[in-house]
Amino acid sequence: MPQANEPDRYTKRLAKWISFLTILSLFLIFSLILAISIGPIQISLSDVFFTIVKKLLGSQAGGNPESIKETVIIELRLPRALLAALAGLALSVAGTVFQCIFRNPLADPYVLGVASGAGFGASLVIFLGIDLLLGSIYVIPLFSSIMAILTVFLVHLIAGGGTELRLLLAGMAVSSFFSSLMSILLDLAGPRAHGVFDWIFGGFPLTGWEYVNVALLAVPLSLLIFIFARDLNILLLGYEQAKQLGVEVERLRKHMMIVSSVLTAVIISICGIIGFVGLVVPHMMRIIVGSDHRILLPSSALAGASILVLCDTVARNVLRPVVIPTGVITALLGAPFFVYLLHKGVR
Amino acid sequence: MAILKVCNIECYYESTKVLDGISFSINPGDFVGVLGPNGSGKTTLLRALSKVLKPRIGAVFLENSNIYLMKSREVAKNIAVVPQDAAPAGFNLTVLDFVLMGRHPHMSRFKMESEKDFAIAKRAMEMTNTLYLAEKNINELSGGERQRVLIARALTQEPKVLLLDEPTSHLDVNNQLEIMELLKRLCLERKMAVLAVLHDFNIASHYCDSLILLNGGRIVSMGAVDDVLTSENIKKVFQVDVIVKRNPITGSLYVIPALIRRKETDQGFSIHIICGAGTGTGLMKILAEMGFNLTVGVLNAPDTDYETAQLLNIPSVIEAPFSPISEENYRANLEIILRSDAVVISSVPFGYANLKNLEAAREAIKRGIPVIVLDDIPIEQRDFTKGEATEIIRELRDKGAIFVRNEQDLLNAIFTLKKNKDSVKQEVIR
Repeated sequence: MPQANEPDRYTKRLAKWISFLTILSLFLIFSLILAISIGPIQISLSDVFFTIVKKLLGSQAGGNPESIKETVIIELRLPRALLAALAGLALSVAGTVFQCIFRNPLADPYVLGVASGAGFGASLVIFLGIDLLLGSIYVIPLFSSIMAILTVFLVHLIAGGGTELRLLLAGMAVSSFFSSLMSILLDLAGPRAHGVFDWIFGGFPLTGWEYVNVALLAVPLSLLIFIFARDLNILLLGYEQAKQLGVEVERLRKHMMIVSSVLTAVIISICGIIGFVGLVVPHMMRIIVGSDHRILLPSSALAGASILVLCDTVARNVLRPVVIPTGVITALLGAPFFVYLLHKGVR
Repeated sequence: MAILKVCNIECYYESTKVLDGISFSINPGDFVGVLGPNGSGKTTLLRALSKVLKPRIGAVFLENSNIYLMKSREVAKNIAVVPQDAAPAGFNLTVLDFVLMGRHPHMSRFKMESEKDFAIAKRAMEMTNTLYLAEKNINELSGGERQRVLIARALTQEPKVLLLDEPTSHLDVNNQLEIMELLKRLCLERKMAVLAVLHDFNIASHYCDSLILLNGGRIVSMGAVDDVLTSENIKKVFQVDVIVKRNPITGSLYVIPALIRRKETDQGFSIHIICGAGTGTGLMKILAEMGFNLTVGVLNAPDTDYETAQLLNIPSVIEAPFSPISEENYRANLEIILRSDAVVISSVPFGYANLKNLEAAREAIKRGIPVIVLDDIPIEQRDFTKGEATEIIRELRDKGAIFVRNEQDLLNAIFTLKKNKDSVKQEVIR
């Protein structure tokens, strides 16, 4: 059979994909362990590894009082590292999707005004003192993610479901509008506003297993997006050709926008606004694995997770005991890298 | 039964109407060409037929179902589109992956491409001669290669209807013919219905079964190639003078643009030219461009001078192929000559068949119409009448015909005659 070598090529491609993802997964695990080991108390890599494995295997240490190390690992550093990983994963996936559906290399998870919507929500809570009133740590995350999603709907409404460009412009307009409102509210809120600044610069002040549980939502949402990977490939061809190849473009675009915005909003509500990950990671991966979303999405997810874990490690330790907002580090490292990409000519 | 039926569709961009009252149907195995100037709605028509631009009025039926009520996926299984060359894509994919995108409407969301999908893509790439490009990046292709890859992708959809937007526009002659042959074969062997927007009349006439001529969003003419591809229709739609002829070898029509336009200036001076065998072609072009009113005759039908006269729209007296000039045509010719201001005789060879043209010239000079003889080849060398023609030429010289050696002298002579005529006219007015 002459076509025997074609499926062969295809099995090869699949094998290549799987091995690449395995490497990325191993790198992510390594990043997590490294991140946990570095801190005011240095813990060796093997200690970190075995403590976590022991915990995973469910041995409750037989009632022995947990060592300080174990407490630091399990209760402090592991949730923070996982949170960073989940945030990196979610933002990279959302960035990949937005760059695809807008066919614009400058799109990031915040193009539809998610970030400023969430920021406005958070500052509204602080200005009105709702968080004091209800006295729950969940108030700001909840309120800001609701605002974020409302913002996306508002942008969609303004753009009238029109072209990519209309959506982008509507997103920009709504974004700057809410940013201004947020500044006014934070100004009026006085010293109480300082609590929100940490959040705006992006970081992981809210760490704890309860937040990790919320952030875990990113995994099923990313998997949901992954199901549409092939449709996203075809969307790259533009509206007309995608339609002619049987993709319901408007519906796909709308669904992808909603899922990615929810994905982003969940992360924003916990970690604040972390820039550049969602913009740069997809570009990096596109250069390495190509534009096929079946490999691009999982690669971006894993690479984004590792990168944000490492950035957070830098943020926690470089000016110890001061913890720099993680968003500052990603921007600091991401911006020069982005300039490099631009210089090289982004595909 | 028609596979695709278009019923009275009207399409708009915002409030601008771009298609108006378009109705036609295509059967399996039909090869339909769509012709029309830029902006006539050709590409819009393809959009309307592929569920991209919903007509405000009317409907498009695929085997009795309205495509705008079908799922895009179902439409894409039956109708494939080859877009006008897409510019280099802003993404990073191999040609094979790009072609495999054509399998999308056939594939389940949760599956990867199967062996069958690969086999279909491979066959499409073999047919379009793109298999050797399989591993190349889609951005690295030339215009022609990209065009063929786009066709391969469309064939991978295994459609019943194939719509193409200027599929040969970026190809060299060899590739153009190869693609058109392929499309023709798809019509004949797979009973695929092909509708292609084309810009080349000759390719359209050779390969298509029927044509649709669009202008301003309306169908100007539609039907068999012979009925649509007429010089009147082309003049009406493209504002170009053309000659439509039948290629004696292939039997299909071909269109030649009449590149020489008659100048609008009118010298007010009419000249009758006696020529043949291409000796008058240069004269006709020069004199026509200068704005002289020309007539020609008598000419035999298959002749270079005859074709030039047709091209330039010069009234001519025509004799049947290979026949001597009949008495009837001689009289018709003479009648025209007697209405001219001058007669020019080119250095055409004279035989018994066209000797009557010289007799007409002799008649003209007898009645006072100036005769100019272009004598760059001596008459003795082109006389095949055992001296009869030479005799008449000599007689013309005796009666005052003007003999010139070359075209420049000929033009000088004509302008002198024209000046004389004009001054006579002036005197009459005074």
